[in-house]
Formats: sequence, structure tokens, C-alpha cells
Amino acid sequence: MIVCVAVVGHQNNPLYIQSFTEADDALKLHHIVHCSLDVVDERVNNPKKSGLTLNETFLGLLYPTENYKVYGYLTNTKVKFILVTTDLDVRDADVRNFFRRFHAAYVDAVSNPFHVPGKRITSRTFAERVSNIVKSFGLSSAG
Amino acid sequence: MDPVKTPLGKMLLEEITPVVMVLRTPLVEESCLKNSLSFIEMLSPFCDFNNIDVPVRTSSDQPYRLQKFKLRLFYESDIKQPNIMVAKERLKQVITEAGEKDRSDLSTDPPDISNVLESSKSEISPSWFEIFNKELVRTVSFSEHEAFDHPVACVSVVSSKDEQPINKFVDLFNTNKLPSLLNDGAMDPKILKHYVLVHDNKDGPSEKATKILTEMKNTFGFNGCHLLCINSSQDEQIEHQDNPWAPYKFDSLPSQHLGRYLNIDDFNEIKDLIQELSSKHIIPYMEQKVRVLNQQVSATRKGFRNQIKNLWWRKGKEDTPDSSNGSMYTYSSVESQIRVLGDYAFMLGDYELALSNYRLVSTDYKIDKAWKCYAGVQEMMGLTYFMLDQSRKEAEYCMENAFNTYLKLGSSGRQNATRCGLWWIEMLKTKDQFKEAASVYFRICSEELLHSAVMLEQASYCYLLSQPPMLHKYGFHLVLSGDRYKKCDQIKHAIRTYRNAVSVYKGTPWSYIKDHVHFHIGQCYGFLGMYDVGVTHMLEVLACSHQSKATQELFLRDFLQIVQKAGKTFEVLRLQLPVINISSLKIDFEDHRTYASPGSTSVKESVWCSLEEEMIPSLPTARTNWLELQSKLLPKYKESNICVAGEAIKIAIEFKNPLEIPISISSVSLICELSATSDETNSDVSCSTSGIGNNEEHKNLREIISDTSSFSLSEVNISLGGGEAYLVQLTVTPKVEGILNIVGVRWNLSGSVVGFYSFGANYGKKKIAKGRRKAKQSPGNCLKFMVIKSLPKLEGFIRALPEKAYAGHLQHLVLELRNQSEFSVKNLKMKTSHPRFLNIGKQEDLDLEFPACLEKKTNVSPPANPKIASNGVFLFPEDLSVQGENLLLWPLWFRAAVPGNISLQVVIYYEMGDLSSGMRYRTLRMHYNLQVLPSLDVSFKISPYPSRLQEFLVHMDIVNKTDSESIQVNQLSTIGSHWEISLLQPIDAIFPSQSLIAGQAFSCFFVLKSCRKSSSTEESTSSLFPHIGSNVSLVPDGSKGAPFDTSNSPLADFHDCERLQHGISNQEAENSVDFILISRPLKNNAEPGVSDAHHVFSHHACHCSTASTSPISWVVDAPRTRHHDFSTTSFCEINFRMTIYNSSNARASIVMKTLDSTSISDQLRDETSGNQVGWHDVSLAKDNKMESDAPRNHVRKSLLPESVSAFIWSGSSSTRVQLKPLSTTEIPLQICVFSPGIYDLSNYALNWNLQPVDDHEKVGERIESSGTSLGYPCYLTVLP
Repeated sequence: MIVCVAVVGHQNNPLYIQSFTEADDALKLHHIVHCSLDVVDERVNNPKKSGLTLNETFLGLLYPTENYKVYGYLTNTKVKFILVTTDLDVRDADVRNFFRRFHAAYVDAVSNPFHVPGKRITSRTFAERVSNIVKSFGLSSAG
Repeated sequence: MDPVKTPLGKMLLEEITPVVMVLRTPLVEESCLKNSLSFIEMLSPFCDFNNIDVPVRTSSDQPYRLQKFKLRLFYESDIKQPNIMVAKERLKQVITEAGEKDRSDLSTDPPDISNVLESSKSEISPSWFEIFNKELVRTVSFSEHEAFDHPVACVSVVSSKDEQPINKFVDLFNTNKLPSLLNDGAMDPKILKHYVLVHDNKDGPSEKATKILTEMKNTFGFNGCHLLCINSSQDEQIEHQDNPWAPYKFDSLPSQHLGRYLNIDDFNEIKDLIQELSSKHIIPYMEQKVRVLNQQVSATRKGFRNQIKNLWWRKGKEDTPDSSNGSMYTYSSVESQIRVLGDYAFMLGDYELALSNYRLVSTDYKIDKAWKCYAGVQEMMGLTYFMLDQSRKEAEYCMENAFNTYLKLGSSGRQNATRCGLWWIEMLKTKDQFKEAASVYFRICSEELLHSAVMLEQASYCYLLSQPPMLHKYGFHLVLSGDRYKKCDQIKHAIRTYRNAVSVYKGTPWSYIKDHVHFHIGQCYGFLGMYDVGVTHMLEVLACSHQSKATQELFLRDFLQIVQKAGKTFEVLRLQLPVINISSLKIDFEDHRTYASPGSTSVKESVWCSLEEEMIPSLPTARTNWLELQSKLLPKYKESNICVAGEAIKIAIEFKNPLEIPISISSVSLICELSATSDETNSDVSCSTSGIGNNEEHKNLREIISDTSSFSLSEVNISLGGGEAYLVQLTVTPKVEGILNIVGVRWNLSGSVVGFYSFGANYGKKKIAKGRRKAKQSPGNCLKFMVIKSLPKLEGFIRALPEKAYAGHLQHLVLELRNQSEFSVKNLKMKTSHPRFLNIGKQEDLDLEFPACLEKKTNVSPPANPKIASNGVFLFPEDLSVQGENLLLWPLWFRAAVPGNISLQVVIYYEMGDLSSGMRYRTLRMHYNLQVLPSLDVSFKISPYPSRLQEFLVHMDIVNKTDSESIQVNQLSTIGSHWEISLLQPIDAIFPSQSLIAGQAFSCFFVLKSCRKSSSTEESTSSLFPHIGSNVSLVPDGSKGAPFDTSNSPLADFHDCERLQHGISNQEAENSVDFILISRPLKNNAEPGVSDAHHVFSHHACHCSTASTSPISWVVDAPRTRHHDFSTTSFCEINFRMTIYNSSNARASIVMKTLDSTSISDQLRDETSGNQVGWHDVSLAKDNKMESDAPRNHVRKSLLPESVSAFIWSGSSSTRVQLKPLSTTEIPLQICVFSPGIYDLSNYALNWNLQPVDDHEKVGERIESSGTSLGYPCYLTVLP
């Protein structure tokens, strides 16, 4: 299950962070997302070491914590997408697919002329779309 | 890098060194304690040999040189595995002590992250970590499976005061007291023994001691005995510079003089003792032991044959159960011997030998599944690799292997794992692999909070030191660590970690994390009693609108608690709670413009300006008066606003509660500054404060607050619910002349925190809320006022003006004006924005009784001309002046003209009686909002009365559009003397109920008769009595009340306004008629049928045109029926007349033509139909063509069957007449009928042509100058 998705701007400022858990663990998830930025930076700065090809936006598994797995994705505008999931067995293709759809949703959201670049994404449509993507995560592989 | 010089190398050279067991009698300890030192403490400074050069020969024949050597001394009671609980206590103590010492910079601001990054490694992590880590390593010392902690030698110490010292030496070796390691066979009990006799020189001369020494030498052998004399200094205390013992005593107090009785002789003696012990006894002993063991091991284990044998032998033991401890190996077992060999070789610095032995034994242990021993050996292998500086990978692999193996052991291996981890971390740090080191730190975190707190903090510093620095993880681990410290009540450590975390998160938008950090750091400071700092951190979290409600409550509650505990009111510049919406700032002040009510200020300045335009003196006059005065008075402050002393300046500003919980705010007031006019410099200074830093600004604000003598401020208390915004109205009333500067606003949150907000800093960018006369004013000045001396000010309001009214509602109102000051005002003028709604009455109307005054009086006097200037400005009588307690009352008439929401403005202009004052005039602006509901919808349709000249049928439709009111229709009046109106039918017949309930529609018919005589007479009367008209009462005669007088004010005045509204002047109204319908709402159902005496509605309909037809009208005055006996005469001649009336003001020339055949006319009409649009010259050829409308044609066709026999016009077929304006003439006509039937006498046409009397008609006014009218049906029935 995906517990949290986040969009982080190129100055590491949170643009959108949404948890999908019942519990009041916003702080924890914020911390996890915040920490994963270090790994993103590391991956980006040492692309050879982490085995990333030049045009790859998907950063792969950033790091496994005790209960979560954190995946990252970097757009060409240096906006980072972070996915925190509790699933231990996640297929890479699923995650890639998720990020691709998430990226499309993000692009649509920031294309809105009323969106101020670099400010939090407040669009309700975006939120709905993201929650749909989150709900459908992993379903395609199962079916 | 030489591994020996790295921190880990140094550490290993200190920690993995030969252990010497010390056995001593209590008297020895007693002598030593005179120096506040134990025996071991006394010796320990001398156990470290840093710059020695000792040749050592181990397994190989080639000796090598040992540079550094150290002995570790322990009492026999300490040589055992430390108790876990005791160890924990010890660790806790270390942490607490470190916390106590760390007090230094708790209250300073957290460091900037960039500064942190620039500082060197040693500055970043606190120094006490080393101590802590050392203690942590020591918690697992003296384990059975590791030989380096096993004592190499044993020193027994007896005092010369002891009785029977030789026996004492023997007694000390009593096995009961010896550590378990020696007794249970984990190590070889045959160890090197050394005997020391301690003599205290204070107890007397050393003769006795030397005697005992000889005895000892005889008993224990010459080499192993030694005499140590201490406390040689005679009574005076020796102050040691660089006290050598200080580093070895952790809990030393400065009052203790360590080693105060030890003089230089004692020093040297101790030194010699230890040196001899190590170089002459321990090192040779170890060398020898290494050689012996090596030979043994080589004999049993080296070589191919031995290996095979060993394997075969091990195989037989395969089914032995896992043994987690090393107890299965006694000291005599080969494995133990190899281990001892390895450890001794390690301690002697022969790492190659050590490594080969460790390798050898590690496979054995692995096969035996003696995991603890295996891990221990792996650990040592890792360290050996490190010391050899050979293979990093191998070293790390061994460490990781050891670490994981220890972890696999469960709780028993936990502490070993920690030690192994620490060594591993040091190894990684040496290689600058900080990131990996941090992850190891993270792995050695246990459930125990304090332990993991320290580890996490160390991990965080590793992240900081890694390249590039991983700041996010640094912050995260600091927060984790701080949280744990806090739970363990290590508040100071918690503060340190949180403070470092603040520097990471400062300035980032991660608000959740920031709030958490600030909240906890604030709490920590609260625990420590440092409330000031705590509050500053707490302030950061107050505006936490993104948090949940519970969290907000928690934050606010804790904040208030801390503030309360601090016991004083905090003054905070820019308190974030509540949020002040600076863009909502609105300033209302009154210079020459004064306002009657707060709502008046919301009207746009331009609206007022346009109203005032005609009243205020025009610029040239003004310049000679007050502007000149002003420029004299205020040469410098032209740009600032002007206000009057004693009159309040109102400031409205919005306070918004960002939280979901209610907060209470008290004592909201403005911060102002009033300086005398001459004091220019002061005001300049205050202007520039906005640029200065916070502290000074704060100070400034406080200074300003203290000086409140020259003005008075209002205070407001509000309580804001969750998410609520409230517009606070504040006032400041200057009392003396000068320059008033509104600096900011202050408030009191929950009675304990005072917040300040300075407008100046933020207001610059904002647009000023109210329109200024000088548009180019600099924005900073809008909060600056020039106070001039007090002036009379007129206050006024309109009594009883309804807020809601039905359309047509008519009411008598009174305007009340008051002037509080003793100076008089004069030259009052007044203007309203909507004269249709509000009309200014005459003074004598004041006491009129309403609505009786509307009724028609018997003696009608011509109305006096009201003093309304051409542009609608009403001038009050010149002798009128308002002053002191006198009230000026003036009547007003109100009529709700049209439905809708109306904003009604009234401006009263007045001049000061006293010319010396700063202003010559002021205006009073009154504003009212009015909602007018629809009531009756009246429409009129006028059509000519078919059979009569000069008369019209009026069709009146009334619809009651109110929601619930019933309305009684009282009277319909026409305006103007030349119209007379009457009912077509008696009112009782058509309208019995007399009232319209809501939604009801009603229509009735009236006859309107024009009684215009001639132009000359009509003009004169109409100018005199323009509104005299005729009335029709729509209520039965019996009902009470005289008819309403529509020719008098106010109805007549309002009617004029209505006419003006429709935009047509009086002169153009020849063919139009105006109606006034007067109605009254019925009271509610309680008294049905009784109209409300106090409410009158008037509905005005203007310019209902009667001129729908041509200016020429005619009536065919034919008999209806005619009896004729066709048997006598075959045809019948019928004579009749046509009366033609010219209603225009022009002379008309009329040609009347009769047409014989309808069919021909139809044909002709079709041909000309293309030209019908607009008017056109009618050529002679077309004169006899008949134009007709399609409906009429249609009617004719349907009504007249084909069988109707024709008639012929006899008599003249064309008659031309000239007709004077407004006159009638008659034309005789004759037809012949040949058979009985019904005849339509409509086939004739009138061509008329107007000849203007004079040429004053304006171009563009299209009065039809000629035209053709067709006859209208007139049926004649001829009966036989």
C-alpha cells in the first residue's frame, strides 16, 4: 500500500505531500520524504555509481527504512517525486508506471495558468487524480 | 596514513594492551588515599610508554622495535565482566556529566547551517563522545572468549605497616578473591607474579621496609620483589603543575590536591617500578610465551598432516550443540592457546603473527559453531587488517561479519556488537566513509533510549561530515536523537540536538518538521526554566494552521503554560497570532470632509466629489482663503493628511485567527506618536525607524507606547473563533496640535503575551485604502497626520429613514443637524444624490402631519418656489447658523422611486463662522443604504376613444408584486390642467374588494378627456399651476379622507423628478399625459379593509403618449340604422357629417377623398406596399390610393361577406379644408344605398398636410408634416 506521495521542488521545498494512512503520522512521513532528498541528491550527483543512465528519470529504490520502501523520480526540471510504500515486494515496472502517470498529473497541474511555479500545488483536481493513481497502484500487475 | 596514528589505532594501542592484576592490602590503599588517589590511580600515569624503543623478538628470529607500550592495571575485584545494570548507570552518569558541562551556549541562537559546514570536524561533534564510546567499549571487557583482557601479570602489594607482610603476600593469592577467569579455567592460572612492598614515609623511616624487602627476596626470589616508598614530602603540600593524575580521575574536585604528598623522589620511584616491571618482566614474559605457544601451535596445527588430522577430529564433533559462549575451550585447549598467541602477538605489535593465528582459529571456531568466539576472532582479524593497513575490504568484511555474528547471538552478543560496531565505525571514519559509519551507528541503536540517542546523534554528525554533507539526514537523526534524549530527561542534550536541527530546517518550508522541532525545543527550555528562550521558540509554532486541531490546542496550551511560568508578560514584535491582514487596513479621518456614519466612508471618494463639486468653493476663491492659510501654517507638511484635534481617527484592521481553536485577544489599541509642530526632527527620526533592525524597532515601539499624554486611544477586546476574521475598529483622538504618526498596533494574547505590529515596515507597498486628494503622495505619509486646532463639526442624521420600503413609499422625514462646539457654522448647503428618492422640503413643512398634509386643501395657494439652484443644490436660509446645543431640524420628503438597492448620499456643506480657523468650510457626508421592494406595477395604455373626439380610453393594469402586502388603490390623478379623467364604470362595479392582495392583477378603464383650449391660454395656466390636474377616486365615496393633492409638494416635486428622469421637458408634452396613482398598503389581516394611515404609495407614470395616431382625428357622425322602403325609391340617400379635429399646433390642410371600390383599393395597396416604410411624399398620382394596415384589411374581409352590396359615395368626392390649430371642422357627406344591408363606411382617406405656424421646431424633432389616414370602420345598417 502506498502510504505517502510527495512532490518536492528543485530547491527541496515541498510542493505537495499527501499521506494515505489513517493514522496521524504526518510528521513521520514528512521526515521520511525529507530524508530521502539526500539520497536523491546523491544519486543525481553520482549517476555512475548508482547505475543511472543519462536520461533516466526514475531513481529507483532510494532506501529501505524499517517499515517502508522509498522510491524516487526526478523530472527534467529537477522536481522530485517521492513514493513511500509499505509493500515489501514491489515490481519495478509498477513503480515506473506509477511515476509516469504521476508525472503526467503533475505536468497538467502546473500547466494551470493559475498555478504559481514554486508554490504548493493546491489544485483539487490534482489531488483527486493522484489519489486515483495511488488506488490503482499495483492493480495492473495483479490483473 | 599510518594506522597507528589514526584515532582507531590510538584507541587500540590504548585498549588492547596487557592487563596487570593488582592485589593489595587495605593499608596500601590507605596510604595512597592520603593523596586522594587509589593505588592504581597513583601508578597509572606511568603505565604509558610513548617514546620507548624496546627490541622485541617473537616468532621470527629477527627482533623488531616496539615504540609504544602500555600496561593496564586492574584490581582483582574489577577483573570480571561488568554488571550490565552498573554499566548502564555508569554510561548514564557520563552522559549526564557531559550535559552539565555543556551549559555554555544554550541560550544563543542556533548556528547557521553554512557556518556549521565550514567548521572543522573536531568542532562539530562534542568531545564527550570519545569518553562515552570508551566507556561503552569497557562494558564488555574481561570476556572469556577474548584473551587480551586476561591479566598477563599479577602485582601483589603489601604495606610495610602490615603485620607479617610475607604472609600477607601469600594470603593475597588466596583463590577465593581471585577473579573467576583464573579460577574457572578460562585462562592459565600460572601467570607472572611480582611483589611490591609499599612504604609510607609519613609512618617513619624506611629501615623496617628494607628489612621486609630482604625477607621477600629470600622468599619469592630476587627478581620479582620491589620496594616502593611514597608520601615522601614532609608536611608541605606539593602543587603539581600539569597534574599527571588529573586525566585519570574523572570525578576529581578542584579542592582535592591529587598527589599532594608525592614529591619528585616518589615520582621517579614509581616510574622506575613500572618501567622495570614492563621492560624486565612483562615484555620478556610475553615474548617467551609467544614463542612457546607458537612452537606448540606449529607442532599441532601447522603442516598438511596436522590439518587433515584436525579436520577429521573436528568432524567427529559435528553433532555437538551450538555453544554460544566459549566455556568449552579451557586454557589448555589448542583453540584457546592460538587465541592467546594471537592476542599476545597483537599486543606486542606483531600483527602478521597475530593475523595468521586468528585466521587459523577462526575456521576452527566456525566449524565448532562457537559463534561468540568466532565473532571475537573475526573482530580481531578486522582490527589486525586495519593495523597492517593492508586490505580495507578484508578489514571491513571481517568487522561486518563479526558484527552480524554478534547480533545473531541475541541479547548476549548485543554489547559486543556495539563495541565491534564502534571499532568498525572508527575504521570507516578513518577512511572518510562517513555515510557508512552513520549507517553502522544507526544499526547499533538498541531499544534503550539513551544509548540510541547518543548513537543517533553521532550518526547525525557523520552525515554532516560526509561528502557532500547529507543535511536532511543530519537533521532527521538529530531530531530522532533529541526526541530520545528528551524522553530520558537529558534535557540539555536534547536542546543541543534540537538546536542543531533548527539550523537545518530554518528557512525551509517543511512546516510540520519545523513546528515539531521548535515546539520540543521550547518545551525543553521550559523544563530548564529558561522561559525567555523557550517562548521565542514557541512563538514559531503558534501560527500552525496546517496542523490538526488537537496539535494546535497542544501548542497553544504549552505556549501559554511556559509564558505563565515565566511570570511576566512578554512583548513580542510580530507575534504571529492572530494574523494581521495589512491589506485590510483602512483609515478614516476627517479633514474638511466629515462623515455622519461609519458606512459613509465606504462610498467612493469620486462619488462624494461629484456631489460636492457644485457646492464647495471653486479653486480661485479657495486659494485666497484656506489654502493660503494652510500654506502659511504648514510649509512643510503639505503632503501629510490633516485631521482636527479632538476628532477621532478611525483605523479598521482585520485580525484573523489562523487556528481552528478560539483565541482571546484583549487590549487591542493603536501605537501612536504625537509630536509638536515645531519638533521636526523627532518625526523624521520616527520615519526612518522602519529600516532599522528588529530590536531597535522594538525598543522604539515601547518608547512610543509610554508616551500617551497627548492623545487618547481606544481599546478593544475580541475573541476569535477558529478560522474567524474580525475587522477591528480602533480610534485615536489627538488632543493637541502637532504631527500625529500612527506607528502600529498592539494587542494582548490570552492576557499574557503582548504583540506588536508595525504598519510602517509593511505598509509601504500596499495601496492606500481611501482615495486621496493628492494621488502622488508618498505611501509612508498616509499614516502621518497633521493635527490642526479643533473646529466646529456638524453632525447630522436623518430621523426614521427606513431601510426597507416598498416602491412608491412616501414618507415625511426630518434631518437633524447638530454642532457640538460653541463656534457657529453658516452658509449651509445641501445636495442629495437621488432627488427622486429624497426631496428637500420647506421649513414650514416641519410640523406637518403626515399623511394628512397630502390631502387637498380648500384654499390652494400657489406654491412658493423652493430655493433649489439649477444644479440641485439646496441652499438653507442665509441667516441660519447652527451652534451649541441648538438642533437644526429640516423636513425632507422621501419616496422610494424604483425597486432595487439604493445607495443614497447626502452632502451638507457648511462654512466656519470663525474665519481664523485652519479651514474655511467642511462638508458633512451622509450615506444610507436602502432596499426598495417592488410593490405595484402600473402600466397605462391609451387609445383614442373610437367615437369621440378629444377623448381617450385609458387602460390601467395594476399588478401587486409584493410578497404579502395587500394594497388598496386610492386615487388616480392626471397632471396638468388640460386633462380630465373619469371612470368608465362606477368603481363599485368593477372593483368591489377595493384592495389588491399579493400577486393579484387588476385592470380598469378610464376616460381621458383633453380640454385644451388654445395654446395661448394653456401656456399661461400651465406655468402657474403646472401640476393641477384632475383626480379620480378609486375608493367608494363613503370612505374617509379627502383626495390627495397632487399639485402640491411633495408629490408634485417628486413628479418633477420623475419627469426629469424620463428626460423630456415640459414643453414636449403636448400629446402625452402623466398619471399619479396613489395607493395605501392595508394593515395586516387583523383589520381587513382599513388602510394604513401612515403609509402612502405614489406611482408616477409619465409621458403616456396619446399621440399614437396622426395629429388629425375625425369622427364620422353617421346614423347607426336607417329604415328605408326600397320599394318606393330604389335607392336611399343618407347624409351624415364627419368632424375633423386638428390636435397639432400647426395649421393643417386636409383633403378628404371618398373611394368607391374596396377591390380596387386592395390592388393598389399591394402595389404600394413596398414603399410603406417610413414616411414619404405622397405624389399626386397616389393621392387616391388607400393605405391600410393588414389587420384592418383582414377584419374588413372577414366581417363583410361578398354578398354585401356596394354603396356609392354621392356628394363631393374630394373635399379640401384648412384647419387651424386645435380646432374642428365639419364636412358633409352623402352616400347612396341600393339595397338593405350593413355597410362599412370606411373606404375613404384623409390626406393631411401640416403647415408650421412658426419655424422654431428644432431639427431632428420629427413631427410628421404630412400623411394619409385611412377611414376606420363605421357600420351603417339599412333596414327595409
